[in-house]
Formats: sequence, C-alpha cells, structure tokens
Amino acid sequence: MLKKFCLSWVFSFVLLGVSFSGYSAGLTVSQIVDKANKVAYYAGQDGMADVHMVITDSQGRKREREFTILRKDVQDGGEQKFYVYFYKPEDVRDMVYMVWKHLGRDDDRWLYLPALDLVRRIAASDKRSSFVGSHFVYEDVSGRGIDEDTHELVSQDDKYYKIKNVPKSKKYVEFAYYYIWIRKDNFMPVKAEYYDSQGKKYRVIEALKVENIQGYPTITEMKASDLNTGGNTVITYNKIQYDINLDDNIFTERFLRKPPLKWIKRK
Amino acid sequence: MKKIIKFSAEHPKFVVAVLAIALVLSFIQYPKMKVDTDPENMLSKDEFVRVFHNQTKKEFSLYDFIVLGIVNEKNPHGVFNVDTLTKVYNITKGIEKIKGVISYELISPVVKDDIEQAGIGTVRFKWLMPRPPKTEKEALHIRDRMMANPVFYGTIISEDGKALCIYVPIEKKSLSYQISQKIKKIISRYKGDEKYYMTGLPIAEDTFGHEMFVQMAISAPLAGLIIFLLMLMFFKKINLIIAPMIVALVTVIITMGLLIGFGFPVHIMSSMIPIFLIPIAVLSSIHILSEFFEKYRQTGDRKKTIIESINTLFIPMLYAALTTWIGFLSLSFSPIPPVQVFGVFVSTGVMIAWFISMTFIPAYIALINPKTLKNFGALNIESQKSVLDKVLGPVGRIVVSKWKIVLFFTLITFAVSIWGISRIEVNDNPVKWFVKNHPIRIADRVLNAHFGGTYMAYLVMQSEDKQTEIFKRPAMLKYVARLQNYLKQKGDVGKTTSLADVTKKVYMELVGGSKQYYKIPSTKQGVAQCLISFQNSHKPDDLWHFVTPDYSKLNMWVQLTSGDNKNMEKVIHQIDAFVKANPSPYKIKYNWAGLTYVNVAWQNKMVVGMLRNFLGSFIIVFFMMAFLFGSPLRGLISMIPLTVTIVFIYGLLGIVGRDYDMPVAVLSALTLGLSIDFAIHFIQRSRSRYEQTKDWKDTARYTFGGPGRAISRNAIVIAVGFLPLLVAPLVPYQTVGFFMAAIMFTSSLGTFFILPSIITANPALIYVKKEKHFLCYPFDCIFLAVTIVLAVLYVILGYTHIGIKGILAITVPLFIALVCVCKCLLNNEKVCRILNLKKEE
Repeated sequence: MLKKFCLSWVFSFVLLGVSFSGYSAGLTVSQIVDKANKVAYYAGQDGMADVHMVITDSQGRKREREFTILRKDVQDGGEQKFYVYFYKPEDVRDMVYMVWKHLGRDDDRWLYLPALDLVRRIAASDKRSSFVGSHFVYEDVSGRGIDEDTHELVSQDDKYYKIKNVPKSKKYVEFAYYYIWIRKDNFMPVKAEYYDSQGKKYRVIEALKVENIQGYPTITEMKASDLNTGGNTVITYNKIQYDINLDDNIFTERFLRKPPLKWIKRK
Repeated sequence: MKKIIKFSAEHPKFVVAVLAIALVLSFIQYPKMKVDTDPENMLSKDEFVRVFHNQTKKEFSLYDFIVLGIVNEKNPHGVFNVDTLTKVYNITKGIEKIKGVISYELISPVVKDDIEQAGIGTVRFKWLMPRPPKTEKEALHIRDRMMANPVFYGTIISEDGKALCIYVPIEKKSLSYQISQKIKKIISRYKGDEKYYMTGLPIAEDTFGHEMFVQMAISAPLAGLIIFLLMLMFFKKINLIIAPMIVALVTVIITMGLLIGFGFPVHIMSSMIPIFLIPIAVLSSIHILSEFFEKYRQTGDRKKTIIESINTLFIPMLYAALTTWIGFLSLSFSPIPPVQVFGVFVSTGVMIAWFISMTFIPAYIALINPKTLKNFGALNIESQKSVLDKVLGPVGRIVVSKWKIVLFFTLITFAVSIWGISRIEVNDNPVKWFVKNHPIRIADRVLNAHFGGTYMAYLVMQSEDKQTEIFKRPAMLKYVARLQNYLKQKGDVGKTTSLADVTKKVYMELVGGSKQYYKIPSTKQGVAQCLISFQNSHKPDDLWHFVTPDYSKLNMWVQLTSGDNKNMEKVIHQIDAFVKANPSPYKIKYNWAGLTYVNVAWQNKMVVGMLRNFLGSFIIVFFMMAFLFGSPLRGLISMIPLTVTIVFIYGLLGIVGRDYDMPVAVLSALTLGLSIDFAIHFIQRSRSRYEQTKDWKDTARYTFGGPGRAISRNAIVIAVGFLPLLVAPLVPYQTVGFFMAAIMFTSSLGTFFILPSIITANPALIYVKKEKHFLCYPFDCIFLAVTIVLAVLYVILGYTHIGIKGILAITVPLFIALVCVCKCLLNNEKVCRILNLKKEE
C-alpha cells in the first residue's frame, strides 16, 4: 500500500478515455502508464507504514512530522481509504486525517483535532493544497484524478520512459504541464517535474530509494523540492507491511477519536 | 602662491594645457559610474539596525513591496464587481510574469487562500479568487470573505470596499522603478471606472533616484545658465564671464571624476555635489572679476591688473575657501557614509575651485585679445551710478548713522529666530521628497486614506532566553493581541497583523464560524492544531511571515498611514510604554525592522551627527577667524553675521513649519561655509582701507563701493541663479534653491548692516592695531587655547570611539601645555614683538 500511497501522484492519469499518442517497444503510452500503475499503486489489498517527514525551508530550518498511514483498497484500481495518525509534532499527537478517495467525484476528508475535541469534514475545492505544511500537496498523497491529464511519450532511453502530462482543465491546478520518468525494468515512476505557464520548472518530486518489500518494488524515500523558494520535504517510510487485513471499520468517523491500537502505538 | 599666480598670467597656455589633461583624466573615469539610490545605504553595512532589518527580512521571508492600489469609486460595490475583479485577476497574472517580481510571494486576492464554512461540521480551504467572478453575486461573496479575514481586511481591501491593493514583492529595491514602469504598461490595458495608484517606499526611493538624474541634467545647467546671464548683466563682456563658467564646469567635472575614479557610487547625496560646487566655484571668480572690473580702466594693462586684483583679494579668498572647506570637511565626521563621501568631495571641490580660480583666471585674461576689453571696466563711478550703487551708498550711510536701530532690529530678529528654532521638528519621509502633485504623492494620499497604511514596519519579539515554542502559548498570543488592541486604540497605527489574528481566524472557522469563537484557543495544543490546519492550505508558508518555524520569534506587521519619521517614533514609544506597564507572560525582547523604521534610525543619527559637525566646524572657523583678524574678539565679531544668518534661516524653517530633514541638515554645512565669506571680504578689505585713512566714515564709503559691489554681485548671482530650483519636482532641490537664496540674501544683509553697525559703535574693536601680537594678551591667549582644545576634542570625537577617560587623557595635558605656552609668551616680550613684526610684513 505504501508504494501505492506514495506513488499515486504518478498514476493519477491512468486509463479511461486517454488518447494514445505513441508506441514504444510495442507498448502504447496508455499501456505504460497502466502497467506502472499496476506495479506501483495496487500492490496488495492493504498496507501500512511509519512515516518520517522532514520539511526543510530555504534557510535550512527543519520541521519534522511523524505519522502512521493505514491504507485499504475498496476496489482494485478504484476507491481507496486512508487513515493518517500523527505522533509528531508533540502538540498535534493524536491528530487524525482520514480520506475516502473516490473516482469521478470529490473525495471525502475528515480531520480530528484532539485538543479542540473536534471532528471536521474538510471540503476541498481542489487537491493542490499543502499536506500538513510540507512541499507535498494533497494530490501527491491521495492521487491525481486519472483522466485529468492527457499523456504523451516524449522520449525514452535504456532505463526510462519520459511522459509529458498536460491537464485537460487548467482550473484548480497551478502547473501548466509536468513530466514523469518511469523505470523500464519495473515500471516504477521515479521522478516528476512540474512547469508553470511560462515554461519554468518550479517543482520536482523524486524517488531517492527503491526497495523490494514482500516482493513489491516500493519507494522508501522520496523528496519534493520547491524550486521557487528553495525548500524541500523528504519522506522516509519504515516498517512497511502489505496485506495485513485491515478492518474496514477503522476507516470510519468513530475511529478518529479512538485510534486502532492494534496498528497505532500511541507511545 | 603669488609666484604661481604670476606664472599663470605669464604662461597661460601651460595652465590651459594642464587643465585640459586633468579634464581628460576625469572624463575617462565617467564610464565607471555606479549609481546607488538606496537610502538604506545611509547606514553603514554593519549598523545594527540594518543588520537586524536584513536578518528579519530573511528570517520571515519578507520583501520590499511595490503597492498597486486599484480604486473604484463609481460602482456602488466599489471594486467588488465582475468587471473590476476580472481586471484585478488579469493584472495579477500579468505582474506575475514581470522579471524581478517574486511571483510566489505576491499578495493579491488572486493568489491567497481562504478558509470558510461549507455546511454543518465542514470547513473548506480554497483559493479566494482562483478565477474572475462570473456574476455580481460571486463578486460580493469574494468581498464578504475578504472582509471576514483579519489578514486581508485593511491590508488588501479597504473598509469601504472601494479599494484593493496588490503588494508586489521585488527581488531588489533597485528594480522597483523599472518594474513600476512595466506595471504601468499592464494597467494601461485595463481602463475603465478604476483608478490605479502605485506607491511604497522602494518605489519612492528608486523613482527619486531616477528623477534625481533628470534633475541633475536640468537644474545644474539651468543654474549655470542663469548665473551666466546675470554675470553678463554685471560685467557686459561675454568673453570675460566665460572664465568663471569654465572654472565651475571644470571643478564639477574633475570632482565628480575623482569621486567616480575612487570607486564611490553616485548616491542621492553625491548627486548634489555639482549643484553645491557651482556657486562656490563661481564665488572667487566673481570677486576677482569684480576687482578687475574696477581697476582695469585705471591701468589698462590686463596682466598687471589681474595679478594686482588677485593679490589684493588673495587673503580673503584663501580664508573664504578654507572656511568653506572646513564646513564641508566636517561632514566627514558624520556617522552616515554617503554624507561622509559628500563632505570629502565637496570640500575637495572647494579647494580645486579655489586653485583653478587662482591659476586659470589670470591665464585666461592673459589669453584674451586686449581689443575685446576696450570698453570694459567700471566707468567714472561718480558720474554713472549703477543700480547697485544707488542702493549700497545710502545703505552705507544709514547704517553708520542709525547703527543703534540696526543692532536693535538684529537682536529682535535673533530672538524671534531662536523661538522659531525651538519649533523645528525633526522629520523626514522619502515620499515627501516629491512635490505634492507628483503621482507618487497622490497615490500615497489616496491609498493611505483607504487602507490601514502602506508603510510597513515589523515588530519582532523573541524569547529572551531563546526558548522555542513560546509563541504557541495562549498566554503569549493573548498578550500580543492585547498589544495590538492597545495600538489600535492609540490610533497612530493603521493596522496590525500577527500570529494571534491568524490563530483566532482559523480557530473560529474550525469551530463553526461563529464570531464568539474569534479568540485564542485555551491550550498550546489547541493553538498548534489550529496552525497545522492552516498549513493544509495552498500557501502554508504564509505562516512563516508571522512566526519562525520553531515559534521562538514572532513578527507583528505594523502598517502606518504615514511614512513620517515622527509618526513611526510615536508608535515606538507607545510600544515601549505598553511593554513597560504590562510585563509579558514570558521573558521577551523586541526590536524593529522595516524600511519605515530604518529611515528613522538613520535620520536620528544624521540629526545628532549634523549638529555636532556644525558646532565643530563653527569652532574651527572661529579659530581661523581669530588668526586672520589677529584677535579672538574680532574673530567673534566677524562671525556675528554668519550666526545671525544661520539662526534666522533655521528659525524661519521652524516658523513656516518646514521639517528638519536630510537636505536641510546637509545644507547647514553650506550655510556656514558661504555666509562667512562676505564678512571676511568686508572686514579684510575695510581694514586695509582704514590703515591708510584712519577714518571710519571714509572706510565705510569705500567698502560700500567696490568691495560692496563685489559682495552684492555675488549674492545676487547665486541667489537668483538657484531660484529655478524652486520649481523642481523634487523637494530636496527646492530646499537647495531656497537655502541658496536665503543664505546669500541674509548673509549679505547681515554683512552690510550688522558689521558696520558694530564697527560704528567702536571702530577700535576691529581696526586699532595692538602693540603686541594678540597671543601676548593673557585673555586672548587662554581663550584661543580653549578653542584649540575644543577643536581637537571635536576631531577626536569625529574620528575615534574613545571614552571619557581617553578624551581627558588627551585634552587635559594639551590644555595645560597650551596654557604654559601662553605663560611663556606673556613673559617674553621679545618673542611678542617679533611675532608682531612678522605679522605686519
């Protein structure tokens, strides 16, 4: 799941209604993207990981976040549910962020703030806002709508496919287009570069470490860099497990105030 | 020196050749010219205020802003209609693309986030205006959202909804003029009911720099032209008056060449060097020409006449130049680097001008064709009186007969002026360097009437023991909010924004949007969770403009509606008072940053510095006068017109309510240097006459003749020559124009009225020769010793940072030594007699 969680940003463009714009080694763009999606995004029925996040700003000041992510697929290749429990910073411990990801309509999101004893639904007008102050945006985390971009294979070499993605609607996105690089050997997307309307590259996301876990290729360290401000966020994943039979009940409002102790060590 | 003058008259071509080489050498420096229009450079780079300002900017990712105001007075909903907001959208998009604009830090409704209620138990984070509104209803919704946000209200939109601001952060202040021109181009595409205004300190400063050069190219030559025409009126011969013009021009070119050659940038201050040098350079030449004009008819030999004229004038001109030199050199003691540079180079220019006058004028006169001088020179004075004579003659007679009345009026003027000085307010504001109807001044007025203020200052609070997280604590945030409330009540601040406002807003929206929850959560965790929710927005980093990520430092944005220093100072005092009366729950210290504050800092330094410079150079000039006139008392008397002039001019400033600002402060040096000149000429010339005739009435008649004409020609040429500056679009230039006229007018009047009145009271004071050298009188000697000690003290204070002990260690022994010298002199008649004989030679 982890893999799926962290890589969904790359796979959001898959499938439905995508026009094929080229062939390579017998594979269409759609097939490449589809394959990459299968490899990286739908590994296992469910999964979990401990996440350590370090946000570094342009002045080198660091902030840390520590949380556990639980993920469960509702349907393979379809809806997903996420449960994010925060350990750090210390004063947001017990905070929970929950997402029901839908296809074709807005996601459902909940936020639990323990200090205010408050559960709020979050209505999002778009998915490009920051994830807890990091350089990753919500869409990097929960996945960009699969048919929201058009894709074009712009080049390839021995190792990578380079694919250009242009949003079909400019509404609610700050980028004009982005490129992704997909590894040919295991179809793992390892890099994305975002460009603004003036053709200036302003944002890069890259995999720093790819490991094999339970037979699934998994990104265990990745970095988002904001080239405008010079800041970046590095995420490392620990204790990754797939196929752990998460109870569907966990992903309900009831569990926001009472984290599932089987999976969440409250320390 | 006299040999050099003679040499110049005999080898004119050599002099011209040397000058030409100097000119060429100066000219090749000009391509190296660097321009610096940043008033921040008024503080040296390692000055605490400046270091802290830059550190704060970095720490809180703050930038210098150009403020673009968009005002719609015609639509009943102000700017909140489809048309205007569409323009705002397009303009923002256009500005984002300008090079030098930090587009991701732009403050505009188009690129800001909002947090709002979206049904029961639901909050929504969204862009405030991701696209232009399609209906009036949408436009009004945007208005309501902005009005409900304490970060926007009074900063981006005005209370009445009629005005909206876009804050354009720029990479460098020096780009602001250029960027403002590009913004102008963009807004010219969106005409309609809207009016556009641009302001902000960086743009004022940079635009000033730009217009300054335009003014340099207009004002200085214009002043030159008028001086030229006036001289033509007085001396009638074009080929003759070209000489002083050349002296002025060459002096300016060489001085500026030196400045550039030494690698100094042309700063707001140094751009004024030419305008200061022109009158000073012309001064000596007019005296020489005046004298030449008087004598030429009698001799008919131009070489002989010119050498004789210069010799007659040599001592007064030397002292006039030296006093001006001292006046400006004293600026090098100033704590402000550009003022130091200005002082050093103007004083250098003064001496260059003097030297060129001494050499080039005789050379030039030797070179001109004698035929062209045929009708030149003063005609029979008795038969054909000029206008000047018609005025000067009676003045001379009245002053001598009614000297008591003159002195009485002098005393009254002096007293009134002192009262005026007590009313002077020290204040400056770069925006006010522009005239009232300049677009920047208009923008400043309109926008500050609508908004909480476009002048930003930052109050940075930090934990005294470097404790982190204290600004997450509710008690601390409540304290900050109380401080903001207090400032609001005091009414001198337009608006303040702090982390407390952000916390309250997020808390309120999270809890349900009801106004009763517009408050700080009761626990630190509560605050932290509100703030981490805020970071789920599109612009999470906006938080770090208000607090550092470790929550150890808080930055309160303070918007002032006026960039006047006195306004900023008032707010500083209010905060000091509040913190004193209300101790913070955690130990904190605080400091100020922001351009508005930086201006206060350097101006305070300047005022104190200038006052010290002025007193110092006053003492040194006095010392020189005492030597020149052979007695401290005479020195003092010679300085009376100057003192009255200065007191009068500054008193006038106080009475008409003109603020004491940077240009005014700098001009005090010019006043000192120029005003003493007339007194020197008057006393020196009348003394030589008195020695021959021993008759004061005759001496007065003589002095009000030739020397009087020279003095008044000078006064008129310079005063009138600089009058066109009064219509310049930049206020500092107007100030210079006013000062030149005032200095010339008042000090010539002072010289013509006050000096002769005092002399009439007791001619012996000035003229009677003493038996011994003045150093051999106990009072005079001790008095001079005190003056020397003060002068030394002044130089030490100006150039070093030694403490009281060091000062005492130097000055006390010096004083004792000088007293010993005095004692020796007093006991040694022989030396005294020798000294006196030497002096008479």
